[in-house]
Amino acid sequence: MAGEIVDARGKRCPLPIIELAQALKMVDVGDSLTLLSDDPATVADLSAWARMTRNEVEQQRDFEFLVTKLN
Amino acid sequence: MVPITAQFQAESALHPAARALLLEVFDQGWADPRKLHLESRRAAILLQEAKESIASDLGLSPSEIHFLGEISLGFHLGIVGLLQPDSRLVHSSIDRAEVLAIAAQFPASWEMTVSNSGVVALPELQPNDVLVWQSLNAETGIFPPLPSGLDAFSGRVFVDHTAYPVQASEIPTFSSALWDSSSWSGPKGVSIFALKTGVSGWRNPFPHLQQTVVPSGYSLPLVLASAVALRHWRSDEANNKTKIAELARRIRNFISENIPETDMIDEQLNVWSGIVSLSFLYVDAERLQSDLADEGFTVDSGSACTSANLEASHVLKAMGLLSQGNIRLRLHHHVTAIQIDAFLTVLKRLVEKQRQ
Repeated sequence: MAGEIVDARGKRCPLPIIELAQALKMVDVGDSLTLLSDDPATVADLSAWARMTRNEVEQQRDFEFLVTKLN
Repeated sequence: MVPITAQFQAESALHPAARALLLEVFDQGWADPRKLHLESRRAAILLQEAKESIASDLGLSPSEIHFLGEISLGFHLGIVGLLQPDSRLVHSSIDRAEVLAIAAQFPASWEMTVSNSGVVALPELQPNDVLVWQSLNAETGIFPPLPSGLDAFSGRVFVDHTAYPVQASEIPTFSSALWDSSSWSGPKGVSIFALKTGVSGWRNPFPHLQQTVVPSGYSLPLVLASAVALRHWRSDEANNKTKIAELARRIRNFISENIPETDMIDEQLNVWSGIVSLSFLYVDAERLQSDLADEGFTVDSGSACTSANLEASHVLKAMGLLSQGNIRLRLHHHVTAIQIDAFLTVLKRLVEKQRQ
């Protein structure tokens, strides 16, 4: 796991993405953090979020996502 | 209860013309049209007239039309009736749940992916394949563009027209097709199933008598009301088309300028203006929906947070569209610019409140 960890397990949409966006404010452009979320809506919504906010997301394994801040 | 200022849900009240007719036909249309009494003969004439009227409005021949009560029967008749033991059932990831349920039971099925611009990835089709095609997607308002390979396909095609009364001739390669009366403000509980004249290889998947496609398990008065509603809906649609398109554009422009981080379908695509789907990042759709209702605006939602099974809309997910904070507006014919403006002002305030 890289950088800070945002643990949103057990939380339902839209909370995981809100917590991710808040944590990302503290991260420098180019740096990454890890999001843990077991909400079934997260997988699809993270890629839509990345497209809309022009950031990068990579799923590492079940419930674990590497998010890189690009702007 | 807050009085409803504007109703943007998919359902609509019965068309006034259909409603006026309904009471009258419950008096006239009670008899069994297959029998020989005077009343039955009158009922048979009414049924034939309704068939001819609907046939002409949907671009069918009256003999191709079969009326159904329960709509899911239409999916079974239309799809399962075309399948052979060696068929492959080819359908898309944004089809209705009824189609996905049939595909899940059939051993050889192929799910076509759909891009976020509504382009369906048609595989190389075999002559024995049965293709399911949706003319309009009810959650996004997209008319999926017809793939070029479809013209050349000699196999069997079921077309799902249940979201919008598309003319049969728009997709001429169909073998069977299904329409839903409630999509033209007709009564619920009437669907139109069509089997194209001369289609080969269809067999009735249900136990049946005397080769009838469906037993006459429909309500004649509702069928007559549906025919009248369709005729009026078509002219209402033609008369209000420009207004609805302008109002849809007004919504999009307002959102682009005032509510950032909103996922909307690209308006350059072939989208029906009557459906506007909006997804707001960082917004809880359930809360938004109930806050809007408190202000007198009713909307639908495809978000996980609003559905009983906690699963987001399979359509939004399949197309890579944001499923959180999703609301869906149906712009009915009678909607006004004043209602839209009032709605947008409230919407902006409620989204901002949640994002604070």
